Amino acid sequence: MDDLMKSRMAQLEDYIMKNCLWQFHSRSWDRKVQNEGILSKTMQILCGEPVANETPIDKCHWVDAVVLAEEFQSRCPWLAGMDKADVKTLMNALHERMDYLTIDGSLNLELTDQHY
Amino acid sequence: MPYHEFECSKCIPERKKHAVVKGPGEDLTSALPLGYLNTIPGTISERGCAYCGAKHVIGSPMKDVIHMSHGPIGCTYDTWQTKRYISDNDNFQLKYTFATDMKEKHVVFGAEQLLKKNMIEAFKAFPNIKRMTVYQTCASALIGDDLNAIAQEVMDELPDVDVFVCNSPGFAGPSQSGGHHKINIAWINQKVGTVEPKEITSDYVINYVGEYNIQGDQEVMQDFFKRMGVQILSTFTGNGSYDDLRAMHRAHLNVLECARSAEYICNELRVRYGIPRLDIDGFGFEPLGNSLRKIALFFGIEERAQAIIDEETARWKPELDWYKARLTGKKVCLWPGGSKLWHWAHVIHEEMGVDVVSVYTKFGHQGDMEKGISRCEEGALAIDDPNELEGLEAMETLKPDIIFTGKRPGEVAKKIRVPYLNAHGYHNGPWKGWEGWVRFARDIYNAIYSPLHELSKLDISKDEIPGDKGFVTQRMLSDANLPEEVRNSTTLREYTGKFDCLEALRHKTYPTFERKAAAVAG
Repeated sequence: MDDLMKSRMAQLEDYIMKNCLWQFHSRSWDRKVQNEGILSKTMQILCGEPVANETPIDKCHWVDAVVLAEEFQSRCPWLAGMDKADVKTLMNALHERMDYLTIDGSLNLELTDQHY
Repeated sequence: MPYHEFECSKCIPERKKHAVVKGPGEDLTSALPLGYLNTIPGTISERGCAYCGAKHVIGSPMKDVIHMSHGPIGCTYDTWQTKRYISDNDNFQLKYTFATDMKEKHVVFGAEQLLKKNMIEAFKAFPNIKRMTVYQTCASALIGDDLNAIAQEVMDELPDVDVFVCNSPGFAGPSQSGGHHKINIAWINQKVGTVEPKEITSDYVINYVGEYNIQGDQEVMQDFFKRMGVQILSTFTGNGSYDDLRAMHRAHLNVLECARSAEYICNELRVRYGIPRLDIDGFGFEPLGNSLRKIALFFGIEERAQAIIDEETARWKPELDWYKARLTGKKVCLWPGGSKLWHWAHVIHEEMGVDVVSVYTKFGHQGDMEKGISRCEEGALAIDDPNELEGLEAMETLKPDIIFTGKRPGEVAKKIRVPYLNAHGYHNGPWKGWEGWVRFARDIYNAIYSPLHELSKLDISKDEIPGDKGFVTQRMLSDANLPEEVRNSTTLREYTGKFDCLEALRHKTYPTFERKAAAVAG
């Protein structure tokens, strides 16, 4: 990933970490589901692709994704100039980074508790 | 790891891993203190106990319930005045407090019959109240009193009552947070699903979870939901009704505010009943607007939320900005109990202009610190479960203009001439909602620019007392360095709401929205 892409990803990461709560559910398995559900739907919205929201849980991820995509678009005008493939690369990298920050690299010792 | 070691705690080396500084380039994989651990012997913690967390934080805000502590009377100290979770039924749960008043003889001979006698007496004294929660305490837990058995005996004798047993004695966790957990799980295990809702009035039904109606916060949010045509089936637990909370399983969505105290029941409702959990921020113009938009999106009624956002922002933004102009650059130590460290950390900076120089949590978990550290700016000192000396050292080092904290550390701050606002019970709340956020800004302004506070900085035992100067006003202090166009702005203005902003809400008429089923039938 080049420096431009890295700096763009950092902007998106900064927005999520400062303004969102969905990435901080209390257990690793929840965080995986949240990151996957919301970030993949956000990517689909940014790319103009159809988004599944039939189940209540899917719909809940979708509403977070809609607001996140709108905030990204309003705060990062450069997104409009990117083609779909680049948006997907960027969002996949962001997803990886979020998994690292909140799950794999997290210092939170409670994430692996067996019970809520 | 950028740990911070307090000078005063060098004799307690374990404390070092409980404080970090968020330095340049630091993220959560390198800067996170330990949390939710037993308090280290030798450090004087400011935490509460697990009984306190279960009863005084979560159980007692339920409004139509006799809250009976089974233990020494001192355990139930927190009541009218010390807690501010009001209700719309004349504050029954705050005005009356109940305890079995256990003594030494009961520890020797048992206190089960004492409990039964108290329960029946309480129901007879308040014949209109048919619901009760019995709280275990350290004393009754240690002697092995069987609360469930006594509760069943009382329900057998008085068939129209229902009793919930909360088995969370003070020692049942490192802090009050252990009690939050226990009462969440006990409620869903014992009570959720045992009755059906009294009436479903909307196609859009939520449980509003982790909201305790501090000075009316719940009623402010309820106003927005009613304007959107969304039914609050239950509120867990501020201004909440016992039987409504037994019917939580019928909601379409759990809207969660304080994840620290109530995420457990949301997680269980998701696993057991498939009800999704949506975490929201009820504080601050933009976070609240986005929260309402998300709820509306979930139900497909976005335009209703947008109408509220537009109306409220137009009404209150000029007033928030009046305060922002006067608060920008002021240093804040954000030292609440748990969730407010992340609810407020970014938005008081963004919308009021203050700089958060430290965050701490008394009973939060590492998950709360993850959110708080992510949201505050670089350089902030994050402390888990601080003791009083660490708080003093931090204030002396950071020199905050104000701290937001509880009563006990707040009074300590006053002694070194740092003003404080009560982050738990508020000063002149409610602080949720657009108007509430302006009321919070006004309280900050009044605290920082209090002329009396300025006078308190003079030490009459050694300072020269100026006799040639008159009394100053808040505006003289706050406007001294403001540019002319801000000082005399015709668009910005101070708070213009009423002293009691709840009264009108309680008598308000709301629009009716046609239901989908009715529309189809018609």
